[in-house]
Formats: sequence, structure tokens, C-alpha cells
Amino acid sequence: MIGKFTGAIAALALFVGTATAADFPEQDLQGIIQWGAGGSTDLVMRAVSPHAEKVLGRSIVMTNKTGGVGAIATQFVASQPADGYTLLMSAENPQLYKVMGISKLDYNDFYPVNVLARGVPVLVANNDAPFNTIKELVEYVQANPGQVKMGSTGPGGLPSVVGGMLSAELGFKVTAVPFDGDGPALTAMQGGAVDFMPAVLGVAAEHVKAGRIKVLGIIDGQASPVLPDAKPITADYPEFKKYLPWGPFFGVFVKRDTPDDVKAKLVEAFKTGAQNAEFQKLLSDRGYVSLNISGDEADNFLKKWQSTTAWVVYDAGIAKNSPEEFGIAKP
Amino acid sequence: MSKQQTRRPGAIAFNAVILGFSLFMFWQAYLISGFSALSSPGTFPMAMSAIMVLTSAGILIKSLGLSSPGGGFTGFRKEILPPIVLLFSLIILAFSLVLKPLGFLLASFLFLLSSIWLLERGRFGRALLLSVVSIIGVYVIFRLIFQVVLPEGIIPERAIISTIGDYFSGRH
Amino acid sequence: MDAFSYLFASWLQPELLALTALGTFAGIYIGAIPGLSVTMAVSILISFTFSWEVNHALALMNGIFMGGVYGGSRTAILLNIPGAPAAIATAIDGYPMAKKGEAGNAIGLSTVMSFFGGFIGIAVLAVAAPAVSEFAIKFQPRDYMLLAMMGILLVGALSGESLAKGIFAGAFGMLLGTVGLDPMTAEQRFTFGSVELMNGISSIALMIGLFGVSEALLQLHTLHIPAIKQRVDKIIPSLADLKKYLPLSLQTSAIGVIIGALPGTGGDIAALMAYDHAKRVTKNPEVPFGQGAKEGLVGPESANNAAVGGAYIPMLTLGIPGDAVTAVIIGALFIHGLNPGPLLLIEKPDMFWFTVGNLTLANFFMLIFGLTGIKIFTRIIECPKSVLFPLILLLSVVGAYSINNSVSDVWWMLGFGVLGYFMKLYGYQVGPIVLGIILSRLMDDNWRRAIISERESLPAFFTGMLSSPLSATLFVAIVLILLGQTPLWKRFKARGLAVPEKS
Repeated sequence: MIGKFTGAIAALALFVGTATAADFPEQDLQGIIQWGAGGSTDLVMRAVSPHAEKVLGRSIVMTNKTGGVGAIATQFVASQPADGYTLLMSAENPQLYKVMGISKLDYNDFYPVNVLARGVPVLVANNDAPFNTIKELVEYVQANPGQVKMGSTGPGGLPSVVGGMLSAELGFKVTAVPFDGDGPALTAMQGGAVDFMPAVLGVAAEHVKAGRIKVLGIIDGQASPVLPDAKPITADYPEFKKYLPWGPFFGVFVKRDTPDDVKAKLVEAFKTGAQNAEFQKLLSDRGYVSLNISGDEADNFLKKWQSTTAWVVYDAGIAKNSPEEFGIAKP
Repeated sequence: MSKQQTRRPGAIAFNAVILGFSLFMFWQAYLISGFSALSSPGTFPMAMSAIMVLTSAGILIKSLGLSSPGGGFTGFRKEILPPIVLLFSLIILAFSLVLKPLGFLLASFLFLLSSIWLLERGRFGRALLLSVVSIIGVYVIFRLIFQVVLPEGIIPERAIISTIGDYFSGRH
Repeated sequence: MDAFSYLFASWLQPELLALTALGTFAGIYIGAIPGLSVTMAVSILISFTFSWEVNHALALMNGIFMGGVYGGSRTAILLNIPGAPAAIATAIDGYPMAKKGEAGNAIGLSTVMSFFGGFIGIAVLAVAAPAVSEFAIKFQPRDYMLLAMMGILLVGALSGESLAKGIFAGAFGMLLGTVGLDPMTAEQRFTFGSVELMNGISSIALMIGLFGVSEALLQLHTLHIPAIKQRVDKIIPSLADLKKYLPLSLQTSAIGVIIGALPGTGGDIAALMAYDHAKRVTKNPEVPFGQGAKEGLVGPESANNAAVGGAYIPMLTLGIPGDAVTAVIIGALFIHGLNPGPLLLIEKPDMFWFTVGNLTLANFFMLIFGLTGIKIFTRIIECPKSVLFPLILLLSVVGAYSINNSVSDVWWMLGFGVLGYFMKLYGYQVGPIVLGIILSRLMDDNWRRAIISERESLPAFFTGMLSSPLSATLFVAIVLILLGQTPLWKRFKARGLAVPEKS
């Protein structure tokens, strides 16, 4: 007994001192979720982690660290050692921190272990609204500038970016009323507080199917199997092709300077985890497009996303800083 | 509470600090967005800090009218800040400062031990026992069951837990 | 099996019965410990119950929710630290009762009233869910703003000796609530460039500090006075008492269900508004409010548990969460392969009836677990203060830390503990600060949403307010309450000139 105990102490000293990447992971990992319990990021992460845990052979202790549109969690992970034991489980927001003046960090400072999935934006409207398609909406707004109320989620959120795209291409002037998230905004729309709003397909789909709100169209190149009747925006406005595909995404990140073999282990675990059938079903039910990409492929995706979005929000006058200051290329 | 005809020692100073703080916050609120629009982010904070300035000014004026309690600093020490409160506050302050560097386990242990020992005036053995038992209780509930990752500091908890876990699952 | 027969599913299957019991039991302690929240517990359970059958997972979560909302009252009464925001109002009169040696009585009464409120909430869920949820989504930003104003009127009741100090504290709390990154414009308010402050000041950290820590520091003045012996003979309230408080409990339960069902408000606001209501309708309390009035327990405790049933109403009928906990439960349903939305009630009515039956069961367990073991609990405050206070502080520190895994919350908690200590000594009440911070966002955000919707036009804002029946009713209610509290109106009444009050 005593022998075993000293063995444990010796093993312990080994972990503290010279834990090598070859045996990674030697202890439980910590997953820092950027958004609150019950949000879509939280949900996706809690759904994929049990599968990744099986591959890693260790638990991932999940912690929600909310605030500052995710900047606090991002900052926290950046301040932890680059040993791969602290994972940042986050959404698209850090890619806009620089232009929004929220933080100096973005995904250049992190390595994408897995960009799991992308959401598809749709335009939905109150059933009583005097328009039924994107084209009708645009014409109505052009005829009544500033009169139509759009549900929003604050600057940098999905509605503000889609609104920015519409105003850049079509001279689209609306009154944006910001809510705490797309859920509360959709609720308010059903009560008549706003007329229409851009939202993630998965969040809006159930309400559309039940006939509580109507869908005007989908901001993507092709229709989605979840709502096959929603016409893609490119059908009427082909100029939107340059922005697409666009949508919020979820990913798991570690610090950029984490040892390569640790990165490789994490990539493998999350790749296998994301392939799990149950997880894939969850994604497609909610209307998310599975990406399951990592490394360079993910980096390219992140870069393109950042350049498109940062310039859209800057041109729409929402951003505080020009993307140019941070070397974000114009698309 | 009974109506006080005399003010409490230090009341004027406290009310003055409150007024100063309110003025500062009003200025800060004004800096957010000035008088730009009814819906601007600074409107509500300005309204609230304006209320604070008005009420705290009224409170200060009223407290000036009350008669002095007398007793000077001794009265303040007796009624407002007895040595035990000051000492205990300092221990708490020290606790919050070392919480992160030393980690939860060590910092809380030292805190409980010293404060129980101080308040109990001397019974060290009992203080030690109580500290250990309560820290184990808190640790099990928060860290192990609810997975709240308490500050680790200098004790490598995660490694210890993993080692113990491995030991039982026969991995080593 | 017919959908309705699922009503008793959890009563008849031993596993479900056991899980509900376990959940409720655990919930009471999760609710009682500051910093451990039901939201947190339920989201941990998502990963944990991943591979279970959905009803098993739900039974556990429903139990935790029901128990947790009630459990907050324990620490509020015993230690003056509300275990959860929904129990703030309970501390106002519950803790004074404990100080007088009536902790057992206070816990007993809260338990029975929580049970009663919980039952009303479930009953409304069962019979009127679709109607209530249609009503709830009618609430516009303007109406939420008016609700927040109604809540603010409570400052008058919480002010103690000086109304000016009460108003100051209320405004201070409101101001504290605005600290951080403004979600509507991404503008930083009072952050002084600190990233930690972007998240704002946690209302729970503030509450633990202002209530718990400041009280512990104050008690150090009287360290040598031994703790009061608690009477434990009258734990279960008498039938006469129950009869007396039944009307009040019914009214405040109604408040609880509505506020709980509104997607923008939860049990904490319900309990505070219920306290205000209780204070207003109780003409001659045996003990003044704030010093241990039983009505001050009946109101909030009925309301916060009624809000549980209320929160399920929009969730089960429309897939819209009624509060933070139901938002997480919706997430759990997704992970279990269900699509909680407006179609859930049509496609899977068994889910609805299962939840109604299961919540009723959890409510019974809450009553049973709540009434047993009170004697042991009341022993806690008979501990010598020299041991109790360090432990309270340790628990406060861990609790504040756990809210958001952040040491800065601990500093806020301690800072407000010291501030609360001085404020109490100089005759300021701390209740309004907590009220302010809870209502701040509700007020600020919805005021701005409302005025943005009217394109910054005040005349349009007021026209809108008076032309919408819902807003107009709320507005008139506020004016009546306000008039009812001013001395001028009281003088009118005394002369017999009062118009019959409509409410």
C-alpha cells in the first residue's frame, strides 16, 4: 500500500515536472465555453464533447465563462499555458473583436482544433407583415425607408451583418431594434414588436413550420432541406454570391503555440467526435451545415469569414476600427 | 430602528464620500455618449447618477443639521469600526489576494484556521479540525460534484485527481 | 398509450419516482448554497444524462428546478444570504424571524407556501398553457419597461427610515446594473478599460456581499452575545395560519405564474413584486414588514415557486424559454433528439402531460424534504459565531467565485460586503441596491428598445403607451400604486373622498 502510494506521488511529480506531449492527455481537460448555458454554442459543445472524451480517454470539464461577447473567455484561454489542456469552445465573435474595439485577440492567436459547423441565415417576418419574399421586403423597405423595424442582436451579431450586406447592395434602410439574442428577438417578433429579422435557420425553423412566423428567403446559395420552400437570396439578387457561404460558426480552439503532437491528438479526438451519427443528426435537425475542418483548411475558412464580415460591418458603419488597421484584407 | 437625533460618528464623511462618488459617476455617465439621443447607452446611467447626486446631496445636508455625537475618534472606533472588525476585514482581504496565487485549498485553509483561531481565542486544535473538515466538504461539493474549477494555485489538483483516478482504474 | 396517461408515468415507474426524488432533494441544497445555481446544475446534467432516456433526464431536471427555487429560502432565512436571486425577498423578513428564534417556523411556513405556489403554477400550466403563452408574447418592450417601473416602486417599501437613502440605493443599484459592455451598442459603460468589467458586476456576487458578508461583519460587534436558541416546536404552520394567508398566497401565486411565463422575467422579479404586493395589501401585519412579518414570507415564496410552472408555459407550448433554466432544458431536449418548438405540443403531447405530472410529483417531494430535517438546519445558526462567520465567508467566497469562475467576482463580493457594512451602520438599506441591479437591464434595455421603435419620438411613445390596452393598464396600475403611497392621497382617503380603487 505504502509502496503504491509513493508510486503515485512519484507519478504526480512527473506530471508537474516533465509532462511530455507523447502521453497527452495526462489529466482532465478544461473546456471554456464562451457563451452561457442553454445557448447554441453551449449546446453544440456539450453534444460533441462526450464523443471526443471517448477518444481522449479523459473528461473535458466544461465551464461557461460569459461576458464581453465572449471576450472574457477568449482572454482567459489566452492567459493559460499553451499545453492543450485548456480548450476554447467558441463561436464566430472573436473574429470581429478587433474592428469592434473589444479585444486585441482573434483566431490568429488560436489554433483551430475543429470548426464544427456553420449556421445558415434566413430572413423571417411577422405573419402580418406586408411582404412574403426577400424581393417584396426589399421593395417595401425601399418605398418606406426607415419605417420597417428589424429585430437585431446588437452590433456584430448575425442580424447586423446581414442587414449590413443588404444595405451595402440594395440601399436597405430599416430601424434595427436590438434584443438579447435571436431567441428573444424572434419572440418579440411574434408579439409584433418588430416586422422582420435575419435569424439562424435552426432557431427559426420550428416557428416557421408551426406557422407562427413566415420565412421570406434564405441567405445562402441553395435552398436548405430543413425549409425547402425558402428561396435563396441569390435567385433574385445574384450580387450576394460574393458574400456566400456566410453564417455563424462554432469551433474548438487551443492556443496557437501548443505543441504539434498535442494539437494532432486533439484534432483526431474532435474529428472522430464530430463524425458521430448522433451529433450529425443534431446538427442537421437544427439546420446547421457540418464542416468538421481543422488546421489550414479551417484557418482559410476563418480568414475568409473575417475579411468578408469585418468589411461588411465596417462599411455599414457599425465597426469602431477599420479592418485595414489590423491587416484584414478587403475581400 | 429608533429615530436618531444625533448623527453617527463619521456620518458626514461617509455621506460626503457618497456625494463625491455620485458626482464622479455622473461625469462618467456623461462621457459614455453625452446628450446625443434618448436611446443612447448613456441616457439611463445619466438619469440614475443624477438621482444619486440629488438624493446624496439632500442626505448630506440633512446630516449636517444633526447634532454631533461627540466622542471623536474613540466613538468612531467603538460604534463603527471596532478592532475585531478591522482585523477580520484585513484577514478577508488577505484571503482574497492570495486566493489566486496560492490556490483555493491552501488559501482557504489558512483563512479558516487563522480566523477561527482568532475568534475562538486560542483553541488551535479545534480550529484545525474544523478547517480541514469544512474545506473537504466544500471541495467535494463544488469541485468534484459541480465541477467548478476552483483556483488551483500551487497545489497541482488536476494531476492529483487524475493520479487517484488512474490508481483506482488500474491504469498505472 | 394515450398522451394524457403520461400524467402519472413518473408516479408509477419506480426509476422515475426515484430520480424525481433525488433531483428534488439535490435541488434544495443546490438552491440553498449561494453560487450553485439550478441553471448550472441542469447544464452539467446535459452531458451527464446524454445517453439516458429523455424522460429520465427530465425527471431529474424537473426535480432540481422545483427543489432549487425553494431551496434558496433556506440560507436566506438562516444566514441572510439568499441562495438564489429568487430568495432575496424572502431574506427581508425571514432573517429577522430567525434572529428572534423563529427560524423553524419561518422555514416551515415558506415550505408550505412554496408547495402551494408550486401547485398553482402547475395547475395553470395544465389547464391554461396555450392561452397564457399567447398573452405572454403580447408583452412589448414598452410593457416590460412598465413592469420594471412597477418593480422599482418597491424601493418605497424597502427604504426603512429614510426614503432619500432608499432612492439613492435604488438608483445606485440601477447604475451598477449598467456596468459592462452594453449589449445593444457594444459601447463600454463604466469599464475603465478593464476586460473583467466588460461582463458587468454579477448581481449574485453583489447580493452575497451586501446581504451575507456585511451581516457577518456587523455581527462581529456582538460576538460575545451567544446565538439565540431556536424554537423548533412550531414548524408546521397551524391550520388557522394557513387559512389566514391563503388569499395572499393565491394572489401572489398569480403574480408568480404571469411573471414566470413572460420570456423576459423570472422568479426573482416575481418574488420581489409579490413582496411589494404583500406589503401593500396587508393592512395590519402582526409584526411590521422588515422585522419578521410572516406575510413577507408568504408572498415571495408562493410567487417564486408558482413562477416555475409559469416558466414551463411558453417552453412547452411555443419552445420559448420562460427563464434561464427552461432555456437549458430546451437545450437538453434538443440533445435528446426532440425539437422543442410550437409543434412539440401537437407532435408529442405526452411530453406535456409527463412534465405536468412530474412537476406535481416534484412539488410533493419538495414538501416532504422541506419539512423534514428543519431541526438540524436550525442548529446551524446556534453554532458559535466564531465558527459560523468564517464558514459563511468561505462559502460566500466560493459561491461568488463559482458564478462565473472569476476571482474578480470575489473581490466585488467582498467590496460590497464592506460597503454594505458601512451603509447599514449609517442608516442606508441595502435591499434597494439589489432590487436596482436586478431591474436595471429590464428597465434600460426595454426603454431603449421602445424609444428606438418609436424612432426617438416621445409623443409617439406616449401615444403608443396609451393606445395599447396592455400598456395602458400597466400604466394606470403604476399611477394608482404611486398615488396610493403618497401622503396626499392618504389625506383624501381619510376625508372619505376616495374614488373606489380599481385594480
